[in-house]
Amino acid sequence: MIGLIRYGFATMLHSQRYLAPVLWFTGVLGVFSSGDSGPLAPVYALGAALLFVCSTWFTIVLLGVEDPAHRAITIVAAGRPRRLLLASIAVAMLSSLVLGGFALVFPLLVARHPVAGLDLVVGLEAQLTCASVGIAIGLLCSRLVIRRQGFALVTALGLVIVALLAPGMVPVNVLIHRMSEGSTSAALVAPVSGLLAIAVVILAACATATQFVAARRD
Amino acid sequence: MLRLTEVSKRYGRGSWVLRDVDLDIPDGEVLAITGANGSGKSTLLRILVGVARPTRGTVSGRPEVIGFVPDRFSPHERLSAMAYLTHMGRIRGLSTGTAATRAGELVDRLALVGGRTAPLRTLSKGNAQKVALAQALLVAPRLLVLDEPWSGLDTSAHGVLSEIIRDVADAGGAVVFTEHHESIIAAQASRTYAVDGAEKAASPDQPDQPARRRQAATVVLTEPAAGNRPQHTDWSALEGVDEVVEHDSAVTILVAPGSCDALLRTALRRGWSVDSVRRAGEPSEVR
Repeated sequence: MIGLIRYGFATMLHSQRYLAPVLWFTGVLGVFSSGDSGPLAPVYALGAALLFVCSTWFTIVLLGVEDPAHRAITIVAAGRPRRLLLASIAVAMLSSLVLGGFALVFPLLVARHPVAGLDLVVGLEAQLTCASVGIAIGLLCSRLVIRRQGFALVTALGLVIVALLAPGMVPVNVLIHRMSEGSTSAALVAPVSGLLAIAVVILAACATATQFVAARRD
Repeated sequence: MLRLTEVSKRYGRGSWVLRDVDLDIPDGEVLAITGANGSGKSTLLRILVGVARPTRGTVSGRPEVIGFVPDRFSPHERLSAMAYLTHMGRIRGLSTGTAATRAGELVDRLALVGGRTAPLRTLSKGNAQKVALAQALLVAPRLLVLDEPWSGLDTSAHGVLSEIIRDVADAGGAVVFTEHHESIIAAQASRTYAVDGAEKAASPDQPDQPARRRQAATVVLTEPAAGNRPQHTDWSALEGVDEVVEHDSAVTILVAPGSCDALLRTALRRGWSVDSVRRAGEPSEVR
């Protein structure tokens, strides 16, 4: 598994296609999080929303880097197709964690925010929630499921907009909404943990669905 | 033994690509799979190695270590050949050191000239094919599946590939490959399976498939039983030569019919003995 994850990172880094989503993420985060010295939760909500879009984008790119013949070789080397998909999810999650960590620390460096340990816990949970749902949508819109790139892009855009902006949409929209309301972190821990659990279930379901479709497509 | 039972495949609601394939592949066998373009050979290979799953039917007895060389290996990657092979070795469970050593050995054996550190995507077709072969052999496979492996390889690599196939089979592994050229099939395979027809044993005096007529003539040259060794010749440099396969003491050459006489003259002059000549589409050999 570690070999597969290393290979996933190597192909991604060499392809340089991670650059666009990463630059977009850091750029937007930099513009919007400087100069604000209010409570941290709304700042972290913005970071989580950005990470949501970014992890969808990153996952689609990651699964599209290898062409089908190449992927077939990797699957045979790995022994099972499922292992390769799990490794890809791990690569996407680890990359999202790096960006998420940046989104947690950066606001503290550029502005004076009142910080408590719970703020960071809520922030991390929010990042994980958004990354999970982002990766889930990325999987469904990857080449493994939707072969035509145009369709994949439109579908991904639609799903991201719905998940982010449709009022009351669990978990991303609700999460962003709750965190921007001005509640204290102590009041947010429980509901955000619940949303994280939902996000993990969504990711598991989408991964299973992707594996199911991909196995029949091949 | 690898066994396919009534394997059928179609994509979505499309037409059937494969229908009711029953195939037993015992250990140590070298099986050639033939069939016209689009007859489902590649799909059958992908099912054999477990990348594709059959719509119906079952595959049993698939060994743990499988080497797979797909027909097109044109990676867009910036990874170098050595880095790629080392990664593949690690994915197969080797340590980084072992993987790199093994990759180096294979790259040397296949004579990947100048391609070790070059990004994969800059490699020529032949060199990319060598990398594809090397990755399949990082751990000695119990099943080696090759999709038209001779295309794009140079003559010296042909010999190495024949050696590799023999090695895997001698070690008790099964080898399955697809190929269009009968001369190669006759030289390598212990059995032939036609995807869109019935299974039968490979025998040189039977035309393989009436539907598949080559334009070229097949010339088999051998070293004379007594007398001097024939002069070494670069056959592929001669006019009209389509393909050259060198075996132990014989050479099989596919040559355009118009250049056949000139080739035979050259061969006889250089001390080779003509074993057989077969014109395109001709059912039996002329000795």
